[in-house]
Amino acid sequence: MNRQHVGVLGVGQSEYVTRRTDVTFPELVREGALLALADAGITMDEVDAVVFPLAPDALIGVGNGERWCVEALGASGKPFMRVNNGGATGMSAIIAAWTHVASGMFDVVLVAGADRVSESGSAQSVLNKMWDVGYERPVPLNTITMLALSAMRYNHLYGADETDMARVTVKNRRHASLNPKAHLRTPVTVEEVLASRVLAWPIKLGDACPSSTGAAGAVLVSERYARAHGLHPAWIRGIGQNTETFWMGDRVGPRSVSDHADADALAVAFQRAYTRAGVTDPGRQLDVAEIYAPFSSVELHVIEAAGLAAKGEAPRRIAEGHFALGANGIVVNPSGGVLCSNPIAVTGVARLAEATLQVQGRAGAHQVADARTAVASAIGGDHQFYSALVLSDDLEEIA
Amino acid sequence: MDPDTPHVAVLAVHTDVVEREEHRSLEEMIFQASRAVLERAGLDRCALDGVVLSGNDQVDGRVISCMPSAGPAGGVGLDVTMIASSGEHALVYGYLRLLSGQGRTVLVVGWGKPSESVHPDFAELVSAEPYVLRAVGMNDTLAAALQASTWITDGGPSGDDVVSWPLTRDDLPARCDGVYAAVLAVEGSFEPGRELAWVHDAGWSTDRYEMGARDLRVQTALAGAREQVTATGCGPAGWTSVEIAGPSEPAVVAATATLGLADGAAVNASGSLASAPAPAHVAGLARMLAAAGSVARREADTGPPAVAAGIGLNGFAGQGATVMVFGEERKA
Amino acid sequence: MTTIPAPAAGGPQFYEQTWDLSYRHALGETTSAFLGALAERRILGRRCPACGRVLVPARSFCDRDHVDTTDWVEVARTGAIEMFTIVYEPFRNLPAPPYALAYVTLDGADTALVGYVRGLDLSDKDAAVAALAIGTRVEVGFADEPQGTAADYWFELPAGG
Repeated sequence: MNRQHVGVLGVGQSEYVTRRTDVTFPELVREGALLALADAGITMDEVDAVVFPLAPDALIGVGNGERWCVEALGASGKPFMRVNNGGATGMSAIIAAWTHVASGMFDVVLVAGADRVSESGSAQSVLNKMWDVGYERPVPLNTITMLALSAMRYNHLYGADETDMARVTVKNRRHASLNPKAHLRTPVTVEEVLASRVLAWPIKLGDACPSSTGAAGAVLVSERYARAHGLHPAWIRGIGQNTETFWMGDRVGPRSVSDHADADALAVAFQRAYTRAGVTDPGRQLDVAEIYAPFSSVELHVIEAAGLAAKGEAPRRIAEGHFALGANGIVVNPSGGVLCSNPIAVTGVARLAEATLQVQGRAGAHQVADARTAVASAIGGDHQFYSALVLSDDLEEIA
Repeated sequence: MDPDTPHVAVLAVHTDVVEREEHRSLEEMIFQASRAVLERAGLDRCALDGVVLSGNDQVDGRVISCMPSAGPAGGVGLDVTMIASSGEHALVYGYLRLLSGQGRTVLVVGWGKPSESVHPDFAELVSAEPYVLRAVGMNDTLAAALQASTWITDGGPSGDDVVSWPLTRDDLPARCDGVYAAVLAVEGSFEPGRELAWVHDAGWSTDRYEMGARDLRVQTALAGAREQVTATGCGPAGWTSVEIAGPSEPAVVAATATLGLADGAAVNASGSLASAPAPAHVAGLARMLAAAGSVARREADTGPPAVAAGIGLNGFAGQGATVMVFGEERKA
Repeated sequence: MTTIPAPAAGGPQFYEQTWDLSYRHALGETTSAFLGALAERRILGRRCPACGRVLVPARSFCDRDHVDTTDWVEVARTGAIEMFTIVYEPFRNLPAPPYALAYVTLDGADTALVGYVRGLDLSDKDAAVAALAIGTRVEVGFADEPQGTAADYWFELPAGG
């Protein structure tokens, strides 16, 4: 493994907002590409191949929407492919780009994309069509209810409650207020979150991510390219993916191998990335976690899956002030995370972008002091597809 | 390329093609094809290091196609990635995974079940962007006809079997329901001789989406893919046969010219576009698996080692193209 | 060709478009048989020969062991709530709220079945949440004239319970 180290030479993100009426979808994609290329200090001419992240076509309203975006990406004449792993798409695309470089076939690979969920007038009814044709679609499951089920089960198993969920939002909104690109930037209090309207109990509006419009991109390079050009990218030290059963009803009861309350299969993905990166004690060895958690409740079990707290311990740790900017130890979602910005197709790209900025000391007002190492993760499907990667600012052993 | 780069083989392929499958769900077809190809490869799914999937949400009516299919493909507990741009890209990605050192084996499964769509042509129409092309009803057939019109030298057909001038029914690809599966593995992870074919190289490229900005006479993406494999010594001059999935028979004929095949190289021995049906999304994958299967070692074969290429053209009028080259012997 | 001043855009324009895609999904024999049994007010599962789990709703293969399931098993019409949610937010093209959804492991099954919970006043959220706590016993209710679809059944609290 890691015949070639793979670096992140540049990252770009637009501001995340509710709606953009000044651009078409491909024009928005182009923003992500240009921001990433500019940050990398290269032009499209130096890009050897392009990987495009795009989640359901139905959300942008064009089938095989990747083909529509070839010009916008400057991908004409280049190897080009699209990844769709649901909400994990962005990070799976980064891992696919890593694969392109690590294969030895390419030195410079661009990942760039965008989403504008607001163009679909009925996102949650579209997303209901994710479920099994015969058994589940007649029931109004969607991405909110599927995670409400997980949240209530987590709270039941570990004695957590809606106040514990609200504290996650309070932390992340405070972080987002320091991040000029974040979508929801107004700080909130626990009381305000608890008083917000119930979407699907126990998830309230204050526990939920926004539907964001925005673009993001990254340029990955081979070690030989970086050395030949005297460049200092951030380095992807380990990657890991894992997959859970599609059937949420199989994730309960004594015969289940992982519980819908937890993110056990994600823990395996983290472990795969940690093993490759040589991380043995993530809470101590890592400085930043940019983890995919579109609802406050999800951050609780992802913190645990990442090995930053024992199962059921995340609520207490957050209540004690851990994982927040300014606290000792690893900071979780200093950008405000997915809870404050969720442009679905590129949400996983944004996690890598934020982790890169952090380990390179370029994150501005939401910079974690002296950060050198980071972990990033994403989740797709019905808590089904999991991606994780470890990043550092150099190739030294992670101590 | 790095001298440590492993040699990759196709251990087994399995195709499950039905004109119109009404007794099995898509997920059941995927499960059965995955089981069959793993059995043929002599592997338990737990021995896999990853699964690469490819489906088209609109054709099959699944909003995130990898969700219901990852389990039947054997992906629970494994690294699963869906490459949604086409089935041929999924096979390429499986190959890249192994070159990059991500384990020793990978299962690739691609599918299409257009029979689940009440109007499969309409599912195709949504691939047209909404501002201009959708208003004129652009789809694969119209795009292929526009392209074929640029190659007409003799006035074109005049009979009553014209579907979209100048293309007749026999010029157009026939569709069906199908699941296509392959197991790839790195050398050393399987008993020597167990391989079906060795992967020599892959190349893939894309042209612009806007057909008005393309010269449709020229198969630019295919030429780009050809150049990539030629650069590593795996170009068309060395191919003994080729399997081509294209949007039309004239496009297949043009592709043989674009590739510049050696004299005597067999083209589409597995059948014409009309006689060897495949779902559009995985038509290129189907041809690649046919190419891999065609080089399998034969008893009493005294000729030079076979080298076959599988070619996929995807998108309107072959916007994208993929070439994958397979050999009876390991790449020299 | 003449260069002209930038045209007045007059504000952004929008195209309203709908994907009117229709499907006729083949459910396969196992799902068809499960749905057929619903019309007889019976809930069926399939047993995996490798892990021994009874999978409900019935599936023709086990995704954990990647083998065909072998035996049909009829499970009870009673069970326990594993997780639930009560939806108060309207979503376009989904039913009008409020409604309650639960996953219930029926007695004799190893996996949980999703369905509506009916017959409960959801206007008092706290009372409804307390009534549906994890572990609460429920019964399967059936439509008066079940049609053999997943809409035929739901869960309800036992009468007088």
